[in-house]
Amino acid sequence: MISALAMIVLRDWGCHKLRLGLTTAGIALGVAAFFAIQTTNEALVGSLNGTIEKLAGKATLQAAAGNAGFSFDAIKAVRSTPGVKIAEPVTETLAATTLGETRLLILGLDTASDLQLYNTAAERPELVIKNPLVFSSRKDSVAITTKLADRFGIKDGDRITVETSSGPAVLTIRGLFTASGIGDVYDGNVAVMDIYSAQATFGRGNRIDRIDISTADGADVDAVQAELVARLGPGIDVVRPDLRGKSLENSVTTMHAGFTILSIVALMIGVFIIFNSFTISVNQRWKDIAILRSIGVERRGIKLMFLSEAVILGAIGSCLGIAAGLAISMAAMGLVTRITATVYGIASATPELRFEPGYAAAAFAIGIVSSVIAAWVPARAAASLDPAAALRNIETRRSEPRMNRLRLAAGAALVAAGLLGVKFTPPGIDSYVQSTYSFMIQFGMIMLLPAIITVGGLVLRPVMDRLFGAEGVIAVETMARSPRRTAATVGAIMIGLTFAISNASLIQSLKMAIDHSLDKALAADIVITSSEQLSSRSNHFSEAVAASIASMDEVEAADQIRITTTRMNDREVALLAHDMSEFFRISPDLLDSGDPARARELTSRGEGVIISNNLAFRSNLKLGDSLTIRSPKGDVELPIVGMLDYYRSEHGTIFLERALYRQYWDDPDVDYIFIDLKPGVDRQAFKAKAAAAIAGTRRAFIYTHEEYKQFAGGVIDRFFLLMYMQTIIAIAVAAIGLVNTMLISVAERKRELGIFRAIGGLRRQVVKMVLLEAAAISMVGFAAGALTSLLNTYFLINTAAKVVAGFRLPFHFSFWLLGLAIPAVIVMAMISAWLPARNAARLEVADAIGYE
Amino acid sequence: MNEIIVSLENVCKIFDGAARVTALDGVGLEVPRGQRVSVMGPSGSGKSTLLNIVCGLDVPTSGRVLINGSDLAAMSDDDRTRLRREQIGMIFQTFNLMPTLNGVENVALPLRLCGMSGNEAADRAAAMLERVGLSGRGSHRPDEMSGGERQRVAIARALIFDPPLLLADEPTGNLDSATGDEILKLLEDVHNEFGTSMILVTHNENAAAICERRIDLLDGRIVSDTLRSPK
Repeated sequence: MISALAMIVLRDWGCHKLRLGLTTAGIALGVAAFFAIQTTNEALVGSLNGTIEKLAGKATLQAAAGNAGFSFDAIKAVRSTPGVKIAEPVTETLAATTLGETRLLILGLDTASDLQLYNTAAERPELVIKNPLVFSSRKDSVAITTKLADRFGIKDGDRITVETSSGPAVLTIRGLFTASGIGDVYDGNVAVMDIYSAQATFGRGNRIDRIDISTADGADVDAVQAELVARLGPGIDVVRPDLRGKSLENSVTTMHAGFTILSIVALMIGVFIIFNSFTISVNQRWKDIAILRSIGVERRGIKLMFLSEAVILGAIGSCLGIAAGLAISMAAMGLVTRITATVYGIASATPELRFEPGYAAAAFAIGIVSSVIAAWVPARAAASLDPAAALRNIETRRSEPRMNRLRLAAGAALVAAGLLGVKFTPPGIDSYVQSTYSFMIQFGMIMLLPAIITVGGLVLRPVMDRLFGAEGVIAVETMARSPRRTAATVGAIMIGLTFAISNASLIQSLKMAIDHSLDKALAADIVITSSEQLSSRSNHFSEAVAASIASMDEVEAADQIRITTTRMNDREVALLAHDMSEFFRISPDLLDSGDPARARELTSRGEGVIISNNLAFRSNLKLGDSLTIRSPKGDVELPIVGMLDYYRSEHGTIFLERALYRQYWDDPDVDYIFIDLKPGVDRQAFKAKAAAAIAGTRRAFIYTHEEYKQFAGGVIDRFFLLMYMQTIIAIAVAAIGLVNTMLISVAERKRELGIFRAIGGLRRQVVKMVLLEAAAISMVGFAAGALTSLLNTYFLINTAAKVVAGFRLPFHFSFWLLGLAIPAVIVMAMISAWLPARNAARLEVADAIGYE
Repeated sequence: MNEIIVSLENVCKIFDGAARVTALDGVGLEVPRGQRVSVMGPSGSGKSTLLNIVCGLDVPTSGRVLINGSDLAAMSDDDRTRLRREQIGMIFQTFNLMPTLNGVENVALPLRLCGMSGNEAADRAAAMLERVGLSGRGSHRPDEMSGGERQRVAIARALIFDPPLLLADEPTGNLDSATGDEILKLLEDVHNEFGTSMILVTHNENAAAICERRIDLLDGRIVSDTLRSPK
């Protein structure tokens, strides 16, 4: 029997290639979005971890202290710790070079040692400095990988120029090492200098970035770790290298979680399409089903036929989706790498894309399970078809029940529960629990769709009657009388719109909040930065360069800022060391809470700190509380004297006096300079003058206040670029759903359209009617989407932003995009319905109304 | 002089499928205005094909069809559709009402398709429903009506333009005998009141008996054409 049913299915596919294509495309797009996101993230995280592990060599522990580094003196304490076999100090600098766009990771290592920690095999060491004495005695010595040398035709004795905080530095190649192990990271763009030379060249003073530690054979690593923590003090973390990678992985978790949710939404829309498609299939085959039932096929057999079809289509769609997802990943990889570098300051070479069988299997399974779930209701409807009733006339088939009260109540309850969750959830509730609020709202709205469609029909009927006459009335009635069929498409449009509009609203809210924050806390006329990224580990201004800018005649006030991070509750919190008095002078309104005069006085004396509101929210801190900041020289404990909205870090931001920072971190570098100009000074003229003053010493990026705001907006746009791409996928999937629905509508109403033609409806009136039905569906979809977008925006701004980053955002709803969506959705509907409308107009009347 | 409302001249209709089927084979027929003609014959004799060709839903393979003097072959699809809408009323065995519209809206539909305003069309439809004895059921949809009520709505729709020609395909085929009789009575009344010509395809002798002319078809040919007094 199975083979006989399979034959029927295959014949049906042959007859309905368009529907088959659309269904497969629906599954494929959903699976592609899911697989692409997972693969991209895996490659990115793999690359980050791989880089750290390779850089760590054979180290079993690493001591590090955020971006600022710590004193070289710590090496003594480490080496004298029982159980430590080898301890190598390391500096890391990512420097721009004269080798095209290539940025070079320059490691400062103790080249006088045998570097065995970084060589995997003692008999064939990868990292060898042939003449270490000469190498270390000449400060400009650098060794590069053979891969880099080959790429640029560099040989021993050649010179390269690198950017440093005090200007370009010329280095001489005095050694090549193979591009494996430590030389394999960053696509071979790695160089090694002697650590003292590196410190001197890059203005690191006595500071190092980390100590790589190998424990003695048989030593208890945990015990050694505990002893090192005790000896080094709270400002220096001692962790296993793999956990350090985990910490970086956590930094991109937010981005990954966001994109995963988006891919699930794309998959949900795909489920709508499959549901629609199988509904068509059942409607197109109701006579076949009746015949099969009448010749003895059991209900179970009918259901099995449809579900088997779903499995096969799911498998085909999943395979195509995995292939498409791999292609999307390849395209997105560079983009994601740039986002992590720009936003998180985590630099890595563009990761190598790998086919992950685990994710492929998961995506394949998800595609099939989604198909089966979506086909379940149509399959059940097909199985429960009464053979006798199936062969009765069309008008004896009763319309679908629209107002199932239980369903309405459940839908309303879900929406209400989601909104109440958003409104009243206290801090600290698991973020995955909170993310269910959005799903509750959206699923609730899906359950309410039949009611929305009914109301939409009632509203649209007189309007369409007045505007388009009988065709308009029939179009609206056709839509409203088949709520199940219509709901699938209205749902797809609703989800697609919700996706687009609520995300745009979130982005807009974030931009507005950042704009507002920059106006308050960065009211400077000019902003000068040492890097085009928000956060950079390697590019800084030297104190001298910063001071020379600050002392220019046109400058009224200058605030020199060092931007780094510190660990707090296992999170990397941004630490901004300002000249606090100047900070308040340039931005007098920067505080949201706290007395500005007192805060200025205390912070500038190093007797208080200001924190961002998201740090206060996340760590449950309030004004007057004491904040402990870990530094390489021990804990700094200061009262919180002010708070403000600040969006640099999702984990929070601490502002403290730069002099205090220098004292505890031994770090004189400067990353940003905020400048207020004297009255009457032209900003652009000053920009040019400052650029000329800095030129030749190092790269600098100079913005006016407005330009910096634009730059910040650009960073947000880049961050959300993947979201925009996924939105396009969601809308494409919704469009496919609409074509599908119109095909169903025409297929279901073949006889009805025949009657319409038989009693005098012209072909063009049939086209008009089908197009109007699509327009009506799209308008109801738009209304449902607008409402759901509003609710979901409420969720995103109140829960998602707060849970993910603790950000308090103003509620901004993107009405302009909503307005733009009206014509876009209707035009999309018209285009989608054109082919079905044309098919409808070409119906043979006599055939359609059932004459044999 | 008897004005001819339907004229078929040597009409042939051949369906070329897997097997070649001659549905009509040289049919010639003239129906004077006001005459009622019943068309009888076994299944496959060509009755429905004849009706399709007369109303312009189908075109003959050869021969000529004139409706009220207009040659269907010379008309565009839109013109044939307009002719069907305004000159020909059609009644089907399966009623063929629009399931999404209520009784009044179904009857008003041909008027609305001509561009008449909703209110005016609804008024005329309501009046026509009253005329066919269905004044209280106009706001109901087809799935809320009995078979007889549906057929009355279909007849009201067919008559809404006061067409000179009514085509009925087994109008009582889906009804019980009592309801069928009521519908036949209604059709007689319509004829008496409007003087409408009718071509009535049926297997039912009772239905055929309301017509003054009877044509029998067999294998696509007219095998008998008799005039008699209607019952």
